Amino acid sequence: MTDPRKAHDAEPTTHFGYKNVPESQKAQKVAEVFHSVAAKYDLMNDLMSGGVHRLWKRFTIELSGARHGNRVLDIAGGTGDLTRQFSRIVGHTGEVVLADINASMLKVGRDKLLDKGVAGNVRFVQADAEKLPFPDNYFDVVTIAFGLRNVTHKEDAIASMLRVLKPGGRLLVLEFSKPTNQLFSKAYDAYSFSLLPMMGKLITNDADSYRYLAESIRMHPDQETLKSMMETAGFERVSYHNMTGGIVALHRGIKP
Amino acid sequence: MLRAALLAGAERGINRILRLDPTALPRLARLSGRIIEIDCTAPAWRLFILADDEGLRLASDWGADADCRLRAPASSLLSLAVSRNKTAVLHGPEVEINGDSGLLMNLAEVLQDLELDWEYEISRWLGPVGAQLLGSSLRSPVEWARDSAGSLRQDLADYLSEESRMLVGQAEAQARFDELDDMKLALDRLEARIERLALHLNPERPE
Repeated sequence: MTDPRKAHDAEPTTHFGYKNVPESQKAQKVAEVFHSVAAKYDLMNDLMSGGVHRLWKRFTIELSGARHGNRVLDIAGGTGDLTRQFSRIVGHTGEVVLADINASMLKVGRDKLLDKGVAGNVRFVQADAEKLPFPDNYFDVVTIAFGLRNVTHKEDAIASMLRVLKPGGRLLVLEFSKPTNQLFSKAYDAYSFSLLPMMGKLITNDADSYRYLAESIRMHPDQETLKSMMETAGFERVSYHNMTGGIVALHRGIKP
Repeated sequence: MLRAALLAGAERGINRILRLDPTALPRLARLSGRIIEIDCTAPAWRLFILADDEGLRLASDWGADADCRLRAPASSLLSLAVSRNKTAVLHGPEVEINGDSGLLMNLAEVLQDLELDWEYEISRWLGPVGAQLLGSSLRSPVEWARDSAGSLRQDLADYLSEESRMLVGQAEAQARFDELDDMKLALDRLEARIERLALHLNPERPE
Protein backbone atom coordinates (compact mmCIF):
# COMPACT_ATOMS: atom_id res chain seq x y z
CA MET A 1 0.00 0.00 0.00
CA THR A 2 1.55 3.26 -1.10
CA ASP A 3 -0.08 6.60 -0.86
CA PRO A 4 0.90 8.65 -3.94
CA ARG A 5 0.89 11.78 -1.86
CA LYS A 6 3.65 10.39 0.30
CA ALA A 7 5.70 8.74 -2.47
CA HIS A 8 8.02 11.69 -2.99
CA ASP A 9 10.97 12.27 -0.78
CA ALA A 10 10.11 15.89 -0.10
CA GLU A 11 6.97 16.10 2.02
CA PRO A 12 3.95 17.32 0.01
CA THR A 13 2.44 20.59 1.09
CA THR A 14 -1.09 21.73 1.60
CA HIS A 15 -2.67 25.11 2.09
CA PHE A 16 -3.13 26.68 5.48
CA GLY A 17 -5.09 29.79 4.62
CA TYR A 18 -3.08 31.37 1.79
CA LYS A 19 0.18 29.87 3.04
CA ASN A 20 1.57 26.50 2.04
CA VAL A 21 2.63 24.26 4.87
CA PRO A 22 3.87 20.66 4.98
CA GLU A 23 0.88 18.33 5.26
CA SER A 24 1.97 16.99 8.60
CA GLN A 25 1.83 20.47 10.08
CA LYS A 26 -1.63 21.56 8.94
CA ALA A 27 -3.51 19.69 11.63
CA GLN A 28 -1.14 21.09 14.22
CA LYS A 29 -1.64 24.65 12.97
CA VAL A 30 -5.41 24.31 12.77
CA ALA A 31 -5.35 22.94 16.31
CA GLU A 32 -3.48 26.05 17.47
CA VAL A 33 -6.14 28.27 15.89
CA PHE A 34 -8.96 26.48 17.67
CA HIS A 35 -7.17 26.17 21.01
CA SER A 36 -6.82 29.91 20.83
CA VAL A 37 -10.47 30.69 20.02
CA ALA A 38 -12.31 27.87 21.84
CA ALA A 39 -13.38 29.87 24.88
CA LYS A 40 -14.99 32.69 22.88
CA TYR A 41 -16.04 30.57 19.90
CA ASP A 42 -19.82 30.95 20.32
CA LEU A 43 -19.63 34.66 20.98
CA MET A 44 -17.49 35.18 17.88
CA ASN A 45 -19.83 33.10 15.75
CA ASP A 46 -22.78 35.23 16.79
CA LEU A 47 -20.88 38.45 16.18
CA MET A 48 -19.34 37.46 12.87
CA SER A 49 -22.52 36.17 11.31
CA GLY A 50 -24.93 38.48 13.12
CA GLY A 51 -26.62 35.41 14.58
CA VAL A 52 -27.39 33.99 11.14
CA HIS A 53 -25.25 30.90 11.82
CA ARG A 54 -28.10 29.69 14.01
CA LEU A 55 -30.41 29.71 10.96
CA TRP A 56 -27.82 27.88 8.85
CA LYS A 57 -27.60 25.19 11.51
CA ARG A 58 -31.37 25.08 11.85
CA PHE A 59 -31.70 24.39 8.15
CA THR A 60 -29.07 21.65 8.44
CA ILE A 61 -31.16 19.96 11.13
CA GLU A 62 -34.29 20.24 8.97
CA LEU A 63 -32.64 18.60 5.97
CA SER A 64 -31.02 15.87 8.07
CA GLY A 65 -34.33 14.07 8.48
CA ALA A 66 -33.14 12.71 11.82
CA ARG A 67 -35.77 10.83 13.79
CA HIS A 68 -36.34 9.16 17.11
CA GLY A 69 -33.88 6.33 17.68
CA ASN A 70 -31.38 7.44 15.03
CA ARG A 71 -27.61 7.41 15.47
CA VAL A 72 -26.09 10.76 14.57
CA LEU A 73 -22.43 11.71 14.24
CA ASP A 74 -21.63 15.41 14.54
CA ILE A 75 -18.06 15.77 13.27
CA ALA A 76 -16.10 18.90 14.17
CA GLY A 77 -19.10 19.54 16.38
CA GLY A 78 -17.15 22.18 18.25
CA THR A 79 -19.26 23.69 20.95
CA GLY A 80 -22.17 21.34 20.37
CA ASP A 81 -24.89 23.49 18.76
CA LEU A 82 -26.01 20.73 16.40
CA THR A 83 -25.47 17.97 18.96
CA ARG A 84 -27.87 19.64 21.39
CA GLN A 85 -30.64 19.75 18.79
CA PHE A 86 -29.97 16.22 17.58
CA SER A 87 -30.02 14.95 21.15
CA ARG A 88 -33.57 16.31 21.49
CA ILE A 89 -34.67 14.76 18.21
CA VAL A 90 -33.25 11.25 18.55
CA GLY A 91 -34.52 10.89 22.12
CA HIS A 92 -33.45 8.28 24.67
CA THR A 93 -33.45 5.42 22.18
CA GLY A 94 -31.06 7.24 19.85
CA GLU A 95 -27.47 8.30 20.18
CA VAL A 96 -25.49 11.38 19.21
CA VAL A 97 -21.71 11.34 18.98
CA LEU A 98 -19.98 14.69 19.17
CA ALA A 99 -16.57 14.25 17.58
CA ASP A 100 -13.90 16.90 17.31
CA ILE A 101 -10.20 16.59 16.68
CA ASN A 102 -9.52 19.49 19.01
CA ALA A 103 -9.47 18.74 22.72
CA SER A 104 -10.13 22.35 23.74
CA MET A 105 -13.20 22.66 21.54
CA LEU A 106 -14.49 19.29 22.69
CA LYS A 107 -14.08 20.28 26.32
CA VAL A 108 -15.90 23.57 25.84
CA GLY A 109 -18.66 21.71 23.99
CA ARG A 110 -18.96 19.00 26.62
CA ASP A 111 -19.12 21.51 29.48
CA LYS A 112 -21.68 23.61 27.66
CA LEU A 113 -23.93 20.64 26.89
CA LEU A 114 -23.71 19.24 30.42
CA ASP A 115 -24.51 22.68 31.82
CA LYS A 116 -27.63 22.74 29.67
CA GLY A 117 -28.65 19.31 30.89
CA VAL A 118 -27.93 17.52 27.63
CA ALA A 119 -26.78 14.07 28.70
CA GLY A 120 -27.64 10.40 28.48
CA ASN A 121 -27.73 9.98 24.74
CA VAL A 122 -24.60 11.97 23.86
CA ARG A 123 -21.02 10.67 23.62
CA PHE A 124 -17.93 12.81 23.23
CA VAL A 125 -15.12 11.46 21.09
CA GLN A 126 -11.86 13.10 20.12
CA ALA A 127 -11.38 11.86 16.60
CA ASP A 128 -9.82 12.72 13.26
CA ALA A 129 -12.41 13.09 10.50
CA GLU A 130 -10.06 11.30 8.07
CA LYS A 131 -9.89 8.19 10.26
CA LEU A 132 -13.18 7.92 12.09
CA PRO A 133 -12.96 5.33 14.89
CA PHE A 134 -16.42 3.83 14.29
CA PRO A 135 -17.64 0.59 12.70
CA ASP A 136 -18.87 0.48 9.10
CA ASN A 137 -22.56 1.22 8.43
CA TYR A 138 -23.14 2.61 11.91
CA PHE A 139 -24.76 6.07 11.65
CA ASP A 140 -28.04 7.26 10.13
CA VAL A 141 -26.86 10.85 9.82
CA VAL A 142 -23.38 12.37 9.69
CA THR A 143 -22.95 16.13 9.80
CA ILE A 144 -19.86 18.27 9.53
CA ALA A 145 -20.54 21.96 10.06
CA PHE A 146 -17.74 24.40 9.34
CA GLY A 147 -15.17 21.66 9.75
CA LEU A 148 -14.34 20.16 6.37
CA ARG A 149 -12.37 23.31 5.45
CA ASN A 150 -9.82 22.54 8.15
CA VAL A 151 -9.29 18.90 7.24
CA THR A 152 -5.96 18.16 5.55
CA HIS A 153 -7.17 15.42 3.17
CA LYS A 154 -10.80 16.20 2.40
CA GLU A 155 -11.21 13.17 0.11
CA ASP A 156 -10.12 10.83 2.90
CA ALA A 157 -12.52 12.50 5.31
CA ILE A 158 -15.47 12.19 2.91
CA ALA A 159 -14.61 8.53 2.25
CA SER A 160 -14.40 7.89 5.97
CA MET A 161 -17.82 9.48 6.52
CA LEU A 162 -19.25 7.32 3.74
CA ARG A 163 -17.86 4.22 5.43
CA VAL A 164 -19.47 4.87 8.83
CA LEU A 165 -22.86 5.77 7.31
CA LYS A 166 -25.54 3.10 6.97
CA PRO A 167 -26.83 2.54 3.44
CA GLY A 168 -29.50 5.20 2.97
CA GLY A 169 -27.79 7.35 5.56
CA ARG A 170 -27.25 11.03 4.88
CA LEU A 171 -24.13 13.18 4.99
CA LEU A 172 -24.63 16.91 5.49
CA VAL A 173 -21.75 19.26 4.90
CA LEU A 174 -22.35 22.82 6.07
CA GLU A 175 -19.47 24.97 4.95
CA PHE A 176 -18.53 28.40 3.70
CA SER A 177 -18.68 28.63 -0.05
CA LYS A 178 -18.60 31.04 -2.97
CA PRO A 179 -21.09 33.95 -3.04
CA THR A 180 -23.19 33.79 -6.19
CA ASN A 181 -23.42 37.54 -6.76
CA GLN A 182 -20.30 39.48 -7.87
CA LEU A 183 -21.17 42.67 -6.04
CA PHE A 184 -22.10 40.84 -2.89
CA SER A 185 -18.85 38.91 -3.15
CA LYS A 186 -16.84 42.17 -3.12
CA ALA A 187 -18.61 43.42 -0.01
CA TYR A 188 -18.11 40.05 1.64
CA ASP A 189 -14.38 40.14 0.82
CA ALA A 190 -14.02 43.58 2.33
CA TYR A 191 -15.86 42.42 5.44
CA SER A 192 -13.92 39.25 5.96
CA PHE A 193 -10.43 40.58 5.29
CA SER A 194 -10.61 43.80 7.27
CA LEU A 195 -13.48 43.73 9.73
CA LEU A 196 -13.24 40.09 10.73
CA PRO A 197 -9.57 40.09 11.88
CA MET A 198 -10.28 43.33 13.73
CA MET A 199 -13.20 41.78 15.59
CA GLY A 200 -11.01 38.78 16.34
CA LYS A 201 -8.35 41.08 17.73
CA LEU A 202 -10.83 42.92 19.94
CA ILE A 203 -12.61 39.91 21.36
CA THR A 204 -10.16 37.03 21.46
CA ASN A 205 -7.00 39.14 21.10
CA ASP A 206 -6.07 36.95 18.16
CA ALA A 207 -6.33 38.54 14.72
CA ASP A 208 -4.29 35.81 13.03
CA SER A 209 -6.81 33.07 13.76
CA TYR A 210 -9.55 35.07 12.13
CA ARG A 211 -7.35 35.98 9.21
CA TYR A 212 -6.84 32.24 8.79
CA LEU A 213 -10.63 31.81 8.88
CA ALA A 214 -11.12 34.31 6.04
CA GLU A 215 -8.29 32.81 3.98
CA SER A 216 -9.30 29.21 4.52
CA ILE A 217 -12.82 30.06 3.32
CA ARG A 218 -11.36 31.30 0.01
CA MET A 219 -9.27 28.15 -0.39
CA HIS A 220 -12.19 25.82 0.23
CA PRO A 221 -13.69 24.15 -2.87
CA ASP A 222 -16.76 25.91 -4.27
CA GLN A 223 -20.27 24.42 -4.44
CA GLU A 224 -19.84 22.40 -7.64
CA THR A 225 -16.34 21.14 -6.75
CA LEU A 226 -17.46 19.87 -3.36
CA LYS A 227 -20.50 18.27 -4.97
CA SER A 228 -18.31 16.37 -7.44
CA MET A 229 -15.93 15.39 -4.63
CA MET A 230 -18.85 13.81 -2.77
CA GLU A 231 -20.02 12.04 -5.92
CA THR A 232 -16.52 10.74 -6.60
CA ALA A 233 -16.36 9.37 -3.06
CA GLY A 234 -19.52 7.37 -3.79
CA PHE A 235 -22.42 9.47 -2.51
CA GLU A 236 -25.63 9.51 -4.51
CA ARG A 237 -28.31 12.16 -5.06
CA VAL A 238 -25.86 14.86 -4.02
CA SER A 239 -27.45 18.30 -3.91
CA TYR A 240 -26.60 21.62 -2.34
CA HIS A 241 -28.51 24.65 -1.09
CA ASN A 242 -26.95 28.10 -1.08
CA MET A 243 -27.70 30.19 1.97
CA THR A 244 -27.21 33.91 2.52
CA GLY A 245 -26.23 34.47 -1.11
CA GLY A 246 -23.83 31.52 -1.25
CA ILE A 247 -21.66 32.59 1.70
CA VAL A 248 -22.61 29.24 3.10
CA ALA A 249 -23.72 26.11 1.26
CA LEU A 250 -25.28 22.97 2.64
CA HIS A 251 -24.39 19.83 0.68
CA ARG A 252 -26.33 16.66 1.18
CA GLY A 253 -25.49 13.20 -0.14
CA ILE A 254 -27.04 9.79 0.43
CA LYS A 255 -25.03 6.59 0.86
CA PRO A 256 -26.26 4.05 -1.70
CA MET B 1 -33.85 32.06 5.17
CA LEU B 2 -36.46 34.65 6.11
CA ARG B 3 -39.01 31.93 6.72
CA ALA B 4 -36.54 30.05 8.87
CA ALA B 5 -36.04 33.22 10.90
CA LEU B 6 -39.80 33.74 11.27
CA LEU B 7 -40.32 30.14 12.31
CA ALA B 8 -37.45 30.35 14.79
CA GLY B 9 -39.09 33.44 16.30
CA ALA B 10 -42.51 31.82 16.45
CA GLU B 11 -41.01 28.70 17.99
CA ARG B 12 -39.35 30.70 20.76
CA GLY B 13 -42.60 32.54 21.50
CA ILE B 14 -44.72 29.39 21.59
CA ASN B 15 -42.24 27.50 23.74
CA ARG B 16 -42.08 30.39 26.19
CA ILE B 17 -45.89 30.23 26.55
CA LEU B 18 -45.85 26.43 26.82
CA ARG B 19 -43.40 26.64 29.71
CA LEU B 20 -45.98 28.68 31.65
CA ASP B 21 -48.38 25.74 31.72
CA PRO B 22 -47.26 23.15 34.24
CA THR B 23 -48.81 20.23 32.35
CA ALA B 24 -48.18 21.13 28.71
CA LEU B 25 -44.57 19.99 28.39
CA PRO B 26 -45.02 16.56 30.03
CA ARG B 27 -48.01 16.00 27.75
CA LEU B 28 -46.03 17.08 24.70
CA ALA B 29 -43.21 14.73 25.75
CA ARG B 30 -45.57 11.83 25.02
CA LEU B 31 -45.66 12.96 21.37
CA SER B 32 -41.88 13.13 21.07
CA GLY B 33 -40.35 11.47 18.08
CA ARG B 34 -43.48 11.91 15.98
CA ILE B 35 -43.64 14.27 13.01
CA ILE B 36 -46.74 16.25 12.04
CA GLU B 37 -46.90 17.90 8.64
CA ILE B 38 -49.30 20.76 7.94
CA ASP B 39 -49.66 21.20 4.21
CA CYS B 40 -51.56 24.37 3.38
CA THR B 41 -52.99 24.25 -0.13
CA ALA B 42 -53.98 27.89 -0.58
CA PRO B 43 -51.66 29.75 -0.18
CA ALA B 44 -49.14 26.95 -0.62
CA TRP B 45 -46.77 26.45 2.28
CA ARG B 46 -45.73 23.58 4.48
CA LEU B 47 -44.97 23.35 8.15
CA PHE B 48 -43.50 20.47 10.10
CA ILE B 49 -44.18 20.25 13.82
CA LEU B 50 -42.18 18.07 16.18
CA ALA B 51 -42.99 17.99 19.86
CA ASP B 52 -40.84 16.98 22.80
CA ASP B 53 -40.39 17.78 26.47
CA GLU B 54 -38.80 21.12 25.64
CA GLY B 55 -41.70 22.31 23.55
CA LEU B 56 -42.43 22.44 19.85
CA ARG B 57 -40.03 22.55 16.95
CA LEU B 58 -41.28 24.22 13.78
CA ALA B 59 -39.60 23.60 10.45
CA SER B 60 -40.38 24.55 6.88
CA ASP B 61 -38.84 21.32 5.65
CA TRP B 62 -38.00 17.97 7.19
CA GLY B 63 -35.91 15.29 5.55
CA ALA B 64 -38.08 12.42 6.84
CA ASP B 65 -41.67 11.28 6.29
CA ALA B 66 -44.35 12.67 8.59
CA ASP B 67 -46.43 10.40 10.87
CA CYS B 68 -49.49 12.55 10.29
CA ARG B 69 -50.20 14.86 7.40
CA LEU B 70 -52.95 17.47 7.39
CA ARG B 71 -53.77 19.04 4.02
CA ALA B 72 -56.20 21.95 3.93
CA PRO B 73 -56.58 25.52 2.71
CA ALA B 74 -55.63 28.32 5.08
CA SER B 75 -59.29 29.13 5.86
CA SER B 76 -59.94 25.61 7.19
CA LEU B 77 -56.66 25.64 9.12
CA LEU B 78 -57.67 28.90 10.75
CA SER B 79 -61.11 27.65 11.75
CA LEU B 80 -59.45 24.49 13.02
CA ALA B 81 -57.17 26.58 15.19
CA VAL B 82 -59.93 28.68 16.75
CA SER B 83 -62.94 26.36 16.87
CA ARG B 84 -63.71 24.27 19.93
CA ASN B 85 -65.36 21.55 17.89
CA LYS B 86 -62.43 20.41 15.79
CA THR B 87 -64.02 17.18 14.62
CA ALA B 88 -66.60 19.09 12.56
CA VAL B 89 -63.89 21.02 10.73
CA LEU B 90 -61.76 17.90 10.23
CA HIS B 91 -64.66 16.15 8.54
CA GLY B 92 -65.07 19.01 6.07
CA PRO B 93 -64.64 18.26 2.36
CA GLU B 94 -61.52 20.43 1.96
CA VAL B 95 -59.59 18.82 4.79
CA GLU B 96 -57.48 15.74 4.16
CA ILE B 97 -55.69 13.77 6.86
CA ASN B 98 -53.21 10.99 6.24
CA GLY B 99 -51.57 8.84 8.88
CA ASP B 100 -52.17 8.92 12.61
CA SER B 101 -54.87 11.54 13.20
CA GLY B 102 -54.78 10.87 16.95
CA LEU B 103 -51.39 12.56 16.99
CA LEU B 104 -52.89 15.74 15.59
CA MET B 105 -55.79 15.66 18.04
CA ASN B 106 -53.40 15.18 20.97
CA LEU B 107 -51.36 18.18 19.93
CA ALA B 108 -54.51 20.27 19.44
CA GLU B 109 -55.77 19.24 22.88
CA VAL B 110 -52.54 20.28 24.57
CA LEU B 111 -52.65 23.67 22.88
CA GLN B 112 -56.34 24.13 23.64
CA ASP B 113 -56.04 23.16 27.30
CA LEU B 114 -53.25 25.64 28.00
CA GLU B 115 -53.78 27.08 31.44
CA LEU B 116 -51.11 29.63 31.76
CA ASP B 117 -49.67 30.32 35.15
CA TRP B 118 -49.35 34.06 34.61
CA GLU B 119 -48.81 34.65 38.27
CA TYR B 120 -45.55 32.71 38.15
CA GLU B 121 -44.30 34.78 35.23
CA ILE B 122 -45.35 38.01 36.92
CA SER B 123 -43.76 36.92 40.19
CA ARG B 124 -40.41 36.77 38.44
CA TRP B 125 -40.71 40.51 37.89
CA LEU B 126 -42.72 41.77 40.86
CA GLY B 127 -41.89 39.19 43.53
CA PRO B 128 -44.43 36.81 45.14
CA VAL B 129 -46.36 39.43 47.16
CA GLY B 130 -46.80 41.80 44.25
CA ALA B 131 -47.83 38.97 41.96
CA GLN B 132 -50.40 37.74 44.51
CA LEU B 133 -51.88 41.23 44.96
CA LEU B 134 -52.02 41.88 41.23
CA GLY B 135 -53.33 38.39 40.58
CA SER B 136 -56.19 38.57 43.08
CA SER B 137 -57.19 42.09 42.09
CA LEU B 138 -57.32 40.96 38.46
CA ARG B 139 -58.92 37.61 39.19
CA SER B 140 -62.01 38.83 41.05
CA PRO B 141 -63.23 41.24 38.31
CA VAL B 142 -62.56 38.57 35.70
CA GLU B 143 -64.55 36.01 37.68
CA TRP B 144 -67.33 38.49 38.32
CA ALA B 145 -67.49 39.29 34.60
CA ARG B 146 -67.58 35.61 33.71
CA ASP B 147 -70.35 34.86 36.24
CA SER B 148 -72.37 37.87 35.11
CA ALA B 149 -72.07 36.90 31.47
CA GLY B 150 -73.21 33.36 32.35
CA SER B 151 -76.27 34.46 34.32
CA LEU B 152 -77.16 37.10 31.71
CA ARG B 153 -77.14 34.41 29.04
CA GLN B 154 -79.37 32.17 31.18
CA ASP B 155 -81.80 35.01 31.98
CA LEU B 156 -82.05 36.05 28.36
CA ALA B 157 -82.75 32.49 27.25
CA ASP B 158 -85.43 32.11 29.93
CA TYR B 159 -87.05 35.42 29.00
CA LEU B 160 -87.17 34.69 25.27
CA SER B 161 -88.59 31.19 25.64
CA GLU B 162 -90.75 31.42 28.79
CA GLU B 163 -91.86 35.02 29.26
CA SER B 164 -92.16 36.56 25.83
CA ARG B 165 -92.69 33.27 23.98
CA MET B 166 -90.67 34.64 21.07
CA LEU B 167 -88.58 31.48 20.90
CA VAL B 168 -89.46 27.88 21.51
CA GLY B 169 -87.91 26.40 24.66
CA GLN B 170 -85.40 23.61 24.30
CA ALA B 171 -87.51 20.95 26.05
CA GLU B 172 -90.56 21.94 24.07
CA ALA B 173 -88.68 21.82 20.79
CA GLN B 174 -87.25 18.43 21.69
CA ALA B 175 -90.74 17.07 22.34
CA ARG B 176 -91.91 18.30 18.92
CA PHE B 177 -88.88 16.76 17.24
CA ASP B 178 -89.63 13.44 18.94
CA GLU B 179 -93.20 13.59 17.72
CA LEU B 180 -92.01 14.31 14.21
CA ASP B 181 -89.63 11.36 14.40
CA ASP B 182 -92.47 9.09 15.56
CA MET B 183 -94.67 10.34 12.74
CA LYS B 184 -91.94 9.69 10.21
CA LEU B 185 -91.48 6.15 11.47
CA ALA B 186 -95.28 5.56 11.38
CA LEU B 187 -95.35 6.86 7.83
CA ASP B 188 -92.53 4.53 6.83
CA ARG B 189 -94.39 1.58 8.35
CA LEU B 190 -97.60 2.59 6.57
CA GLU B 191 -95.80 2.84 3.26
CA ALA B 192 -94.30 -0.60 3.72
CA ARG B 193 -97.70 -2.00 4.62
CA ILE B 194 -99.39 -0.52 1.55
CA GLU B 195 -96.66 -1.95 -0.60
CA ARG B 196 -97.14 -5.37 0.89
CA LEU B 197 -100.91 -5.15 0.37
CA ALA B 198 -100.45 -4.05 -3.22
CA LEU B 199 -98.22 -7.08 -3.75
CA HIS B 200 -101.01 -9.31 -2.32
CA LEU B 201 -103.62 -7.91 -4.72
CA ASN B 202 -101.40 -8.18 -7.73
CA PRO B 203 -98.97 -11.08 -7.14
CA GLU B 204 -97.83 -11.42 -10.81
CA ARG B 205 -96.34 -7.96 -10.88
CA PRO B 206 -92.57 -8.28 -10.88
CA GLU B 207 -90.75 -6.85 -7.88
